Amino acid sequence: METTATPSRSVRKVGGVGSARRQHSGAGPVSGRRRRDGARVVPWIYLAPAMIVLLALTVAPAVFIFYSAFRNDNILGGVGRFVGFDNFVQAVTDSSNQHSFLVTIGFVVVVVILEMVLGFALALPLAAQTPANRVGAALMLLPFAVTPAVAAMIFKQLLNPNYGWVGYYLGELGIAKGADLLGNPTTAWMMLVILDVWQWTPFITLILMAGLQAQPIEPREAALVDGATPWQMFRHITLPAMAPFIAIAAVLRTIQAFKTFDPFKILTGGGPGESTEIINLGIFRVGLQSFNIGLACAMGVLFLIVLSLFVPVMLRLIGRRADPEEM
Amino acid sequence: MIRPQSRAFRSRIVAAAALVVATTLAVTGCSASSSSPDANAAKPKTLRLLYTTDEANAAALATLVPEFKSKFGIDLKIDNQPYDALQQKVFSEFASKSSYYDVVVVDTPWAPALVRDLEPLSSYLDNAKLNPGSPQSDLTDFIPKVLYDTSVYNASAPIKQYPNPTQKPNLGSITKAGFDIYGLPIQSNVAVMAYRSDLFNDPVQKANFKAKYGRDLTVPKTWDEYAQVAAFFTQPDKKLYGTTVMAGVGDWATDDFKTLLASYGGDGTLVDKNMKPAFDSPAGLKALTYYAKLAQSGDVPPGSTSADWGTTADSFDNGLTAMTINYHDLKLADTVKGEIAYAPVPSATAAGPHFGTWMLSVNKYSKNKAWAYRAISWLTASQQQISMTKESLHPSRTSAYAAIGSDNPLASFYDTLGKSLAVGVGRARLTNYTEVSHEVAVAVNNAATGAQTPQQAIDSASQKVAALIKSGS
Repeated sequence: METTATPSRSVRKVGGVGSARRQHSGAGPVSGRRRRDGARVVPWIYLAPAMIVLLALTVAPAVFIFYSAFRNDNILGGVGRFVGFDNFVQAVTDSSNQHSFLVTIGFVVVVVILEMVLGFALALPLAAQTPANRVGAALMLLPFAVTPAVAAMIFKQLLNPNYGWVGYYLGELGIAKGADLLGNPTTAWMMLVILDVWQWTPFITLILMAGLQAQPIEPREAALVDGATPWQMFRHITLPAMAPFIAIAAVLRTIQAFKTFDPFKILTGGGPGESTEIINLGIFRVGLQSFNIGLACAMGVLFLIVLSLFVPVMLRLIGRRADPEEM
Repeated sequence: MIRPQSRAFRSRIVAAAALVVATTLAVTGCSASSSSPDANAAKPKTLRLLYTTDEANAAALATLVPEFKSKFGIDLKIDNQPYDALQQKVFSEFASKSSYYDVVVVDTPWAPALVRDLEPLSSYLDNAKLNPGSPQSDLTDFIPKVLYDTSVYNASAPIKQYPNPTQKPNLGSITKAGFDIYGLPIQSNVAVMAYRSDLFNDPVQKANFKAKYGRDLTVPKTWDEYAQVAAFFTQPDKKLYGTTVMAGVGDWATDDFKTLLASYGGDGTLVDKNMKPAFDSPAGLKALTYYAKLAQSGDVPPGSTSADWGTTADSFDNGLTAMTINYHDLKLADTVKGEIAYAPVPSATAAGPHFGTWMLSVNKYSKNKAWAYRAISWLTASQQQISMTKESLHPSRTSAYAAIGSDNPLASFYDTLGKSLAVGVGRARLTNYTEVSHEVAVAVNNAATGAQTPQQAIDSASQKVAALIKSGS
């Protein structure tokens, strides 16, 4: 009741002040309303530049993508027309696209889980602020700082079955000398996952490390006094306290992982066959090599819908875990 | 209210106008006619050219920039982009009808989609003022197949091929048939075979080969010989393999397959005249079966099923293979002692190496079209092409091939290139060729890795390509 009553009181108060001012200035009720209206407009004026940029660079292109998804426009002009849901039907019924959607989701689930687990495992020892850990944390930034395209090109050289180090050392270990790791769907996927995990685990580690360093020491000390084991402390103190950080890391990484493009384009080009053709490669090929803009936009919209469903569900799941009573 | 006399009069006017329009369309062959060029247009300070990187030998073109400046007094600014980026740049320039680039390089698969944005050149070629030294840009000197496949289009029906592609180029015949010329060919790429002549001429190798197969070791002329020689040279313990395949998913795998398809008697363009997939045939099956067998034979280096044209060139350059098939001349690494020679790719019942040529086209929206035409005419002229062979340009003119003497270090390459272009088979004209090529490449890769049998791969690709052709048209 208090919270609902407060605004009305404040409104009355504002009105009172206004009345007092009206008495002094001799202005009528219209002038006061104008001032109130002006006060409401000012924040919007301040917000306007950002809103305009947001509208121009994000909302307008998104609206145009939706519009294009229902048309068969040619990028080079000519008469395009409204084709209803044809592009969506083609995008959904094409077996290659169905495969691409599935492998994209599979890839994201696998790499995000692996990176979260490894990232947490690395963050725990690195969270203690010692000189050695500071050096370690700085080194951790290196893979994260490498441009994904460059990392993929280096990986491709390392994986070259004739000259690459990976094939050579696998051969020295008697595993598979000169194996064509990108020529087999299973090993090609493994290489893509390894590259992603190598590059992006530090990102998770850094977020979780910051979270761990922000945790108060008192609950752990109290638990220690009560005879809690390290596992119990981790399970019942560290993990619940870290839930908001885990949620942020997981959501950010999921969104990034859905946008992965360079490593697939450079390492496998979607092959062998179409086994590693994630949806982004398909959109690139259809939109920017064949210039079938309508179909590419429809694929993009479908992808956006999947992503829009995925992230809130994940946030809700992790967010619920953030409530200590539910842990 | 309309009076009867007035209605009849209007009908006559409409009929007369329709007749005039119909006659005009018939005379012009319904084609996009060239706008009349302004030969007296003011000279621009700069002409801008959008070009490739290695794909069409940017280094060779760059050597002409100073001479161009001294000849025309115009700065030629060349922007180079690698393949994917170039394609996107070219399409986005035309999509926005930008006049920024006066001259644009165009690859064959893009041309059907772009042709309406390229300036038709027939009126430029016919203008004496624009061709002072060489009437019609010496059109007859271009290799006929190359010119027709690369530059001759009917803008109203861009998927239509010129009916007689071996005919000596003649502007009158071209325009009479409803076609026009939309660029001048500059770099002709065709599949040629490179081999290590030092290995082929080695007496020990020769003796061993004779002992093993009962015949002399010769440069393979048939696909059977090719596979046999590849098997002979393969010694993985010495890091030597017989040959290469470009079986990674990409246009290169399609090109490898096209070459085999044509040589087994199929339609190497991949799509027949009835706009149906042409590879779903006995010739297609033979071609893919041969390719898959070679890829799985162990006679190609590991990694061949994910290789592209760059990686196969690297393998050969680094001494890893005795033979290879690629689009350009090769150079052995300093650490490899040996010699390279070239020969046409082997054949079965016919010869049909894949070829594709880059052309220089005038941007329809350029503000300097007459000068842009002068530029492309000069850049693709015989003398300039001969000069650019020092930087390994692949000429598109017969006179350029004739001028290459035996003292040229790449004489063997150019001899093979010229012969191969004469019998080469281009691509189907489709506005969505990239997608078609992708589906074929996937099938080739699946067969090469053994993920599908050749028949399964062909069936699957045929279905998808048929759907793509339907949606593209």
